[in-house]
Amino acid sequence: MLVNRTEQLLGTVMELSQRDRLSDLVEELTTSGQPQLNHDKMKEVKKICKVSNDCIEHVYHSLMSQLNQEHAEIRLSAFQMASELFSRSHHFRTLLVDNFQEFLELTVETDAEQPLPPPKEVARKLRLLAIQTVQSWQASYGSAYKKLALGYHFLKQVKKVDFQDVEARTVAERRRDEERQRKMERIYKERVEAATKDMEETYQDIEATLTEMESCMRLLLPEFSLTDIRTANEHASDDEQPCCSKDLRDDSKEEKTQDIEESTVKERKENEGMTEEHGSHDEEVEDDQKRDGNEHEDKQAEMDVAQGQKDDEEEDDSEEEEIEPADEDLFIRNSGLISHSYSLDLNLSPGLHVKETDDNEAVVSTVIDLYKLITTKHLPAVQGWVQVFTKSGAEQQLLRRALDLKRSLEAALEKHKELHIDYKTRDRKVIMAFWDGEDDEDDEDFDEVPEKEGYEPHIPDHLRAEYGLDPSPSTSTAPVTQKKLPAKRPAPPVPPSYSSCLSRRLKRLAEEEQDPTSVVATLRVLNKRIPVPTESSSSASGQGSSQSGTDQKPVEAPVVPFGLDLYYWGQEQPNAGKIIKSTSQHQFWVPAEVEEEVDNRDLLAESKSRYISYPGTFTPVSHSCRAPLGNGKLCQRQDRLKCPFHGRIIPRDQEGRPCSKEDRLREEQEERRKREQQPDWRDPELMRDIEAATGEDLGSDRVRGKKGKGKKKKYPNLSDLKQHTNTSRSRLEKKVFNKSSMRRVAEVMNKADIRKHDKYSNQFNYALK
Amino acid sequence: MLGYLAARQAGLDDPLRLRRAESTRRVLGLQLNPDRDVDRIHGNGINTIDIEAIEGRYMLSGGADGVIAIYDLENYSGKSQYTCKAVCTVGRSSRHVHKFSVETVQWYPYDTGMFVSSSFDKTMKVWDTETLKPAELFEFEGNVYSHHLSPIARKHSLIAVGTKNPKIQLCDLKSGSKIHVLQGHRGEVLSVRWSPRYEHILASASADSKVKVWDVRRASGSLLTLDQHNGDKSKASSEAANTAHNGRVNGLCFTGDGLYLLTTGTDDRMRLWNSASGENTLVNYGKVCNESRKRLQFTVSRGCSPEFVFVPCGSSVAVYALHTGELVTMLRGHYNNVDCCEFHPDYQELYSGGKDCNILAWVPVLRTSDVEEESNRENKVTGGQSSVNPALQDAWSSDED
Repeated sequence: MLVNRTEQLLGTVMELSQRDRLSDLVEELTTSGQPQLNHDKMKEVKKICKVSNDCIEHVYHSLMSQLNQEHAEIRLSAFQMASELFSRSHHFRTLLVDNFQEFLELTVETDAEQPLPPPKEVARKLRLLAIQTVQSWQASYGSAYKKLALGYHFLKQVKKVDFQDVEARTVAERRRDEERQRKMERIYKERVEAATKDMEETYQDIEATLTEMESCMRLLLPEFSLTDIRTANEHASDDEQPCCSKDLRDDSKEEKTQDIEESTVKERKENEGMTEEHGSHDEEVEDDQKRDGNEHEDKQAEMDVAQGQKDDEEEDDSEEEEIEPADEDLFIRNSGLISHSYSLDLNLSPGLHVKETDDNEAVVSTVIDLYKLITTKHLPAVQGWVQVFTKSGAEQQLLRRALDLKRSLEAALEKHKELHIDYKTRDRKVIMAFWDGEDDEDDEDFDEVPEKEGYEPHIPDHLRAEYGLDPSPSTSTAPVTQKKLPAKRPAPPVPPSYSSCLSRRLKRLAEEEQDPTSVVATLRVLNKRIPVPTESSSSASGQGSSQSGTDQKPVEAPVVPFGLDLYYWGQEQPNAGKIIKSTSQHQFWVPAEVEEEVDNRDLLAESKSRYISYPGTFTPVSHSCRAPLGNGKLCQRQDRLKCPFHGRIIPRDQEGRPCSKEDRLREEQEERRKREQQPDWRDPELMRDIEAATGEDLGSDRVRGKKGKGKKKKYPNLSDLKQHTNTSRSRLEKKVFNKSSMRRVAEVMNKADIRKHDKYSNQFNYALK
Repeated sequence: MLGYLAARQAGLDDPLRLRRAESTRRVLGLQLNPDRDVDRIHGNGINTIDIEAIEGRYMLSGGADGVIAIYDLENYSGKSQYTCKAVCTVGRSSRHVHKFSVETVQWYPYDTGMFVSSSFDKTMKVWDTETLKPAELFEFEGNVYSHHLSPIARKHSLIAVGTKNPKIQLCDLKSGSKIHVLQGHRGEVLSVRWSPRYEHILASASADSKVKVWDVRRASGSLLTLDQHNGDKSKASSEAANTAHNGRVNGLCFTGDGLYLLTTGTDDRMRLWNSASGENTLVNYGKVCNESRKRLQFTVSRGCSPEFVFVPCGSSVAVYALHTGELVTMLRGHYNNVDCCEFHPDYQELYSGGKDCNILAWVPVLRTSDVEEESNRENKVTGGQSSVNPALQDAWSSDED
């Protein structure tokens, strides 16, 4: 025992230096800011600690004080040191375990009110490391140190630290997540409730709309639904025939009465019709099925027309084949037709077409309204519900209901689309049942005509014939026009019936053209002779003439308004600038002395001056400033005499240096002066902020030069915590919540208040102070 | 120690003296012992524990999760390492479990066949220990903060109940009904305690900062209202008259002999009162951290020559000398607030329960003899480390030289 004492006494003397060394080492190590400890220094620490328990105690206390620092990097390093020593020294373990609560608070963040200090990244790392380390300590020392085991269980069971969790999320974090989750759930729930309520309310509405739409469509097209079509199909199966064949028959009947001459024209047209027909044949077959339903409605009408009911599609095909040139006589004999080139007018509608007539006007307008209602109101609403339900994972039933609604709405829209209702004709209030292949001449007279108001600058090609004009201004032959027609108007599907009637009219025209007595023929001759100037060319020429007129005007003396200066041109103005005050008009009372004439210099100047606008021409500046800019370019400003940025414009060489020597000297001086006085926006602090924000180098380092050296950070290796707090907000706060400014504001407000108290002291709320 | 033994042998001393000296020594040596564990049953904080007085063998605990557990404290294994097993529990799966946090549990003072628990679910249940089913159920209008059975009563079997209601309820176990109400408090009654000396004397602590002493035979009102200033009007402001603390009074404890009463309040003070006169003894315990909104269960040692107070103080248990107010030690082991502690008078052990779900046993550390110490030292020097846990050894690696 005694020996030990003396040893210790000797030791204390030695230790004094060691303690200082230890303190230094601990401080150096903990303030290094490095993620790993310096091995050499750590080794030294261990070496000293090994000597005695006093040293360990000293290290322990200094480490605890470092752990209490509000800087995660310091704490991390201190923790690393502690874990190094923990595995070495029993004494250190007892010390640390005795104070394990605080240790955990400082490293694992067990106390929610005492979060780990910034920087966040390091803090997270520290916590992760601490949790892992505690686990390993528990594994190796848990049995021997009761409090360590308790702490481990505390972390595991109360703080719910998941030691397997790599993220090492604390309860606080998890709670935050849960809270967010709960919040979202609540919001979703609210939304779902709102949507459900909304749906309940609107459901009836939508149903009503749908049924209304359905019945409207039924009214427009009685057999629209699929079942109807099927039954209708069965009915009409025997008299099923493509519309084209019917057209053919009607037309062919007509054609018989017409001249053979026409046939050449017709043939060309027919060829086109054929190609067209081929293109849309598939579609037509489908449409046929739908149409057939309606066809049997029109059966009566057809009966008288179609005497040869027996010819059906096959015949149609055969007829198509017959187009190929054959022996004419044989053909006539076989078929009884005079010409083997007959017109095949195809009435093709790309789908169903419903036109507004007086009969169904009300229904169509209802449909339009319903359509609008569905597209603008119901469908978006339903889509919104579906979105809400899917997002929130609401009950399947609700979702299904919403989806059903959506589907039925979309189906209604689809049906409506298939109907191809012509809205544009609403103004005319005329409708045609156009979709069935009925070839009724009377109906075709009601052609679709765009509304016109008075003068029509452009007459559509297909109407030119009606106006007795050439089919098109540039060309005069009908076939060419026909070819152009479909190409020119691709957007609105032209009902082929147009072309049929049109072609007939054109045929007639062509016929008439042959007759020299007709108006058309004369017109044509005239057209050929005199090229009619087009509209555009005439307007252009008009402009040209006006321009040339101004150019050609002789230079005249300027006309200026007549004025006093002209009246007294070259003379002295007698009364210029004098105000004559009229003497009193009073009969006998006269003011004593009145100066009758008053000189006024302004008036004098006015009467002698005249504003004449500058008649000279503006000559643009051809030179530029060419002063060198910061980015290496030359200043491109074209000022006449002086550049607002670079001063007087002087001749400069290729690189922007002034040519003359004195200019160069002057510029250099200026630059030097500028460099000396930094403008305030180049405040190094501000620039550093901007650099940090944008990641670009604005040269704050260069600027800092003088100032930065003054204050040196105590621990340069640690990351600066204040840097994060130096935000625009904090700077503003510094200004706004400045003590003096606060006082100033308070004073002003107090003054205002006091004034009120003085003023309204008779009122009770101001009387009390 | 040897002196005490010699005096005892010679018959010079009262046997009590030796016992007291030894008890005191043991209490002073209380430490967290790695050899003694208590099963972790509760999934939430532990609000209350109670050790039965008959055998001193079983301990009740009530948790904030509504669970009640009974532990066997006796170590019959013969080894030093012992984990106090939970003999039985009223777990969450039980049909009769308290719905909310159990605030107070107490053994029936004369038999371990019965215990009483009260809870924030506004009920108090009298349990049959054998079947773990409630034999009686009392329902109240508000949360029950505390109840107490008189440890010495022979003439009555009343349970005093402090609830959110300012009236103190007295429930009779004989009739199974609430038979009496004590009116006088203006705040919720956080703690009630029967005197261990007079069976009709009851003390109550309330959130209105007052502590009242009642004689339950007297219907008209309380016997005493404790005044922290001892009636000195000049010190007391008008509203602080007749108050025991400047905050809520949430802890109440008689000394073992019933002569003194200890109270704790949220003003971070602990006061010692003469229970007969209601006089503040003005013992200064310093700051006793106390943030609990509920009852704080603390205890006084029995059978030591200067008695000690064990009072939860944050996450540790503070040990004060009762009459001097001197802070003896802080028992640091819990990782969260401590809510209750109970002293085992036979073994001078302390059990404490806290919000960290642990019940910790503080066991006296036997002083190792000097001879042993020396041999240990020798062992270390020679490098023989067989007898000691390797985890307790230093492990300096050689490369640090």
